Amino acid sequence: MTSVSPEAHAADNCDAILHGREQEAPFFAKVDVVIVGSGSGGAVMARELARDGRSVLVVEEGGHFLPSEYGAMSPSNSIRRLAREAGLAVAVGRGDTPLISVMSGKCVGGSSVLTGGVCFRIPDEILHEWSTDHGLGELTPEKLAPYFEEVERTIHVETVPEAMRSRSSQLFVEGAAAMGVKMKSLRRNTKGCHGQARCNFGCPHGAKMSVDLSFLPDAYAHGAKVISDALVERIDFSMNRATGVRGRFLDGRTGEPRVPFTVQAKVVVVACGSLHTPVLLRRSGMDTAAIGKHLTLHPGFRICGLFDEEVNGWDGAMQSIYSDHFESDGITLVGVYSAVNVLAAGMPGIGKEHRRVAAEMPRMAVFGGMVHDDGGGRVHRWLSREPLVTYRMSARDRARMFKGIQILGTMAFRAGAREVLLPVFGSEPFKTEKELEFLTERPPSAQRVESMAFHPLGSAKMSRDPRGGVVKPTGEAWEADNLIIADGSVLPSSIGVNSQVPVMAMSLKIARGLCDDWARYARRA
Amino acid sequence: MAAPLLHQRDFDRTTLRPRHLALMPKLAEAYFAYDGPMDPARLAVFTKEVDRAISTASKTLRFGLVLMLDVIMWSPLFIIGKLSTFEGLSLEDRASYLTRLERSRIVPLALIFVAWKTLLTMVFFEEPEELAVLGYPGPARTRYLTVVSST
Repeated sequence: MTSVSPEAHAADNCDAILHGREQEAPFFAKVDVVIVGSGSGGAVMARELARDGRSVLVVEEGGHFLPSEYGAMSPSNSIRRLAREAGLAVAVGRGDTPLISVMSGKCVGGSSVLTGGVCFRIPDEILHEWSTDHGLGELTPEKLAPYFEEVERTIHVETVPEAMRSRSSQLFVEGAAAMGVKMKSLRRNTKGCHGQARCNFGCPHGAKMSVDLSFLPDAYAHGAKVISDALVERIDFSMNRATGVRGRFLDGRTGEPRVPFTVQAKVVVVACGSLHTPVLLRRSGMDTAAIGKHLTLHPGFRICGLFDEEVNGWDGAMQSIYSDHFESDGITLVGVYSAVNVLAAGMPGIGKEHRRVAAEMPRMAVFGGMVHDDGGGRVHRWLSREPLVTYRMSARDRARMFKGIQILGTMAFRAGAREVLLPVFGSEPFKTEKELEFLTERPPSAQRVESMAFHPLGSAKMSRDPRGGVVKPTGEAWEADNLIIADGSVLPSSIGVNSQVPVMAMSLKIARGLCDDWARYARRA
Repeated sequence: MAAPLLHQRDFDRTTLRPRHLALMPKLAEAYFAYDGPMDPARLAVFTKEVDRAISTASKTLRFGLVLMLDVIMWSPLFIIGKLSTFEGLSLEDRASYLTRLERSRIVPLALIFVAWKTLLTMVFFEEPEELAVLGYPGPARTRYLTVVSST
């Protein structure tokens, strides 16, 4: 099974999903495996373990929405319902570092519902580094290839046809070509894309094969259940072994935790993503030193070029092209677009000046890029149930970011832009290529750069020995038996490419290992 | 059992207190007015929508957002030397004040400007008439039909 239509999804899954917000009485369940989080990591685990005959319960803090409902939501409505912190989560910059907007999902399907659908495998050179420098010999390109293949089949990864490129992307290609840079077609997990350029708010056509449309329906078909609106507050341990989770359902009226629930399980899988897995582990009393450290973000940036021609960048795939030409500089260039109101939010000025620039929207192209970064981030537990994320950008990454912005601006001018808007607060539109030289010659404070991140990784990383990380190569925590972590937090370093397929492939590998070794885990329980 | 309608499932939490509800229309007008004052009824609806948009965030983030509004409210005293809160300023002075904030060398002040501008702009330019003014034709698309016809 690879995917289902949105209608079939809605009809088939009613019984598999329990809405925590509707629960009035305390809830108790006893299962083989409880999985915390239903995103790219948790959904894959759920399918594999359910297929292997285990009773599986997935507990998700966010709500459950049908694909038909994604289309009924405006972008801001979508963000406040599907994203953490109403889409306003940030990594607080330490030192000369931007305040980085960090988008992550909080709904059944997790961040996979909010991605642009871009699919990459982990680059071979990164895997070589992991298998040699990090001593993780199981993570070679050859050994991971079957997992990537299976994930790509399941979520229907396909190359974006050139005809689906928006005019904005075509201008990006033209500008790059003028600099001798070749752009390549991206691969995405889509089936019947209409080119609405609003993948980041949930695909309105159910064409993006996020895990709620691919892995989870298969898990349901094999008996797995999901509870939405259910906040897990701690993992239970007996001696040194995870035995279940406990938490509270969110109240249907206030959204605050209210009715308690407890789930006993032989194995506990934590798949809350890189920002929340460390918080849950700490709240549960774990004290492994590496928890919450080594967070990488792939800080991203975009520029807007204003052209004389009609661009209408909203007509076409939101993301269709990329370039690894600057890979040695740690910069990946990616075609991007977004909803018109989101783009308007990034334009300079107020009142008349903002209106003048915003009215250029039909003639505007957007070019994007991201930095393959060091692990300068940390996830801290603090006042609320959301983490405090801090990030210190290294001097190397800062230079990469400004160089990337300059490259994008230059490409826009080479493609014929008459004005370029940079992601630097308070800057006026630029009118010549030469004006961009300040970015590398006398760069402004990085704190003034508008940056965003979509790939938080590495905050509970995998390691060969207990001092170097949080989990073993099997995904099991060094500190506790029968506690598996299966999300982006286990990746040992930044990967420089979009992370949904890598997270799914890594989870699939961890799940297969768990299934193969189930008797040992069950014996311990 | 069919799921309840979308808006029925929204949590009915609110964040903005009366002083912020008074400030918000004045702030929005300063950000978006381009040919004179804006319709108060429209600004009232907009204010409610902004409140809904931020109210799904955590307590700490909501606290941070309203703290920023308080800074905007009182800081004209220190930044442009006017003996008035933000909402007491004329539209022209409010716009001028926000421009000063955007260009401020004090980065936290610039970030306050940017944070609220980003949020308000996203909500404001979601209204169909505003989208039309921007030249956005709506959800109809044609490019994918080329792909469909070739397969």
